[in-house]
Amino acid sequence: MAGIVGLLILAAIVPLNVAFLVLVERKVAGHIQLRPGPMEVGPHGILQTLIDAVKLLGKEMVTPQSTDKLLFFLAPIIVVVPAFVGFVPIPFSPMMQIREVNVGILLIFAFSSISVISILMAGWASNNKYSLIGAIRSVAQNVAYEIPLLLATMSVIIMTNTFKMGEIVQAQSPVWFIFYQPIAAIIFFIATTAETNRAPFDLVEAESELVSGFHTEYTGMRFSLFFLAEYTNMVIAAAMFTVLFLGGWHGPVFPGMIWFLIKTYFLIFVVMWARWTYPRIRFDQLMNFAWKVLIPIALVNLLITAMVLKVI
Amino acid sequence: MNTPPYGFTEYIKEILTGSKSLVIGLWITLKRLFTRIVTVQYPRQKLTMTPNFRGHIEAIRFDDTKTHHCVACGLCARICPSHVIKVQGEKVRAGALKYGNRYYIDFSKCSLCGLCVDLCPEQTLKFSNEYELVFYSRWDTVIDIMGRLEKSR
Repeated sequence: MAGIVGLLILAAIVPLNVAFLVLVERKVAGHIQLRPGPMEVGPHGILQTLIDAVKLLGKEMVTPQSTDKLLFFLAPIIVVVPAFVGFVPIPFSPMMQIREVNVGILLIFAFSSISVISILMAGWASNNKYSLIGAIRSVAQNVAYEIPLLLATMSVIIMTNTFKMGEIVQAQSPVWFIFYQPIAAIIFFIATTAETNRAPFDLVEAESELVSGFHTEYTGMRFSLFFLAEYTNMVIAAAMFTVLFLGGWHGPVFPGMIWFLIKTYFLIFVVMWARWTYPRIRFDQLMNFAWKVLIPIALVNLLITAMVLKVI
Repeated sequence: MNTPPYGFTEYIKEILTGSKSLVIGLWITLKRLFTRIVTVQYPRQKLTMTPNFRGHIEAIRFDDTKTHHCVACGLCARICPSHVIKVQGEKVRAGALKYGNRYYIDFSKCSLCGLCVDLCPEQTLKFSNEYELVFYSRWDTVIDIMGRLEKSR
């Protein structure tokens, strides 16, 4: 019963949260470029994204003629599922957790891999060269960056001996893991940025070269489902970073929930800040960075952690 | 190809210098984030134009006569390379200078060269600060300079 209520709350909060994040993104982008961002709808444009959502809901859903109809229909549905499932094992506070899963972290990783499949499906079914290039890039990028992501996570798992997210947070009661594992934290942050296809790793949708990549052919609500999934994945990535390295709900004065949200939204802000600072990197640079820099460093970091903890 | 040596020290050095430049970039955008915004919400707020902005010409009101000094000599109409100026005057009393009472320009053909302003012997012409120059028809671009002066009173 509690699970059902939790899922219903989730279904309400996720889209609203995405609307909020899109607004924040546009405001951050504007202020970094010395613009005010959206200003017209509502005071300081706070209703802008809600109006945009209404507009997208009212649009016709166009299916181009030469597409693979079934895959084209399924891709935006499949892309949102991992975004919702990712919230299930995240502990917002000691009490606020939909379900404590034994392998919570693995669950999120497993489901986030499904979103790659849906991106490939969308790009393939669109029957459009730009969409296909975007989808292929997405697969290469996500395969490459999942390895440092898992290796960085492993160095935390070795320290806590558990995959339960609640217990990982409890293990960080005096000192956050970012102080024990700064290198793993940086690698995890970079890899999640790449996994969620955010700039400077947004080669999947690269507006300037690929006409927004895999979702070029999508219109209306199907398009906004991809948008929803992207921003929700960002929240999950930031929440995982908070759980693994920033001590989850731990913090003075305020209750745990507030601390968790402060940390998560600060990380999301950092991701946006990085997006509007760095140019998009080239594809060979992206691959070299994953295979030549992140993976060796993550491996050495894991080796040192294992030696310090298990051998000595 | 003569490539410089690339070993382990260069690898580490590249990572460190790269990370440093990333932090510098983030610092610059963070400073911009808290800089004052210069955007003006245009229809509600307007900027004051600089004195050397060239709108269409208009007559200057002088304090001694409370109106312009135009004598309808027609020099501006003659110098104008695009023939956009039409000026007419009348003698109010015998022996006095003429008084310019009609002054029209066809702004659609004006090239804003400024010869009329430079030439005017009475120095009663100047460039206006008008920049919202949108018209519904070609006839609307004909501007009644004296009428504007009367209206701005």
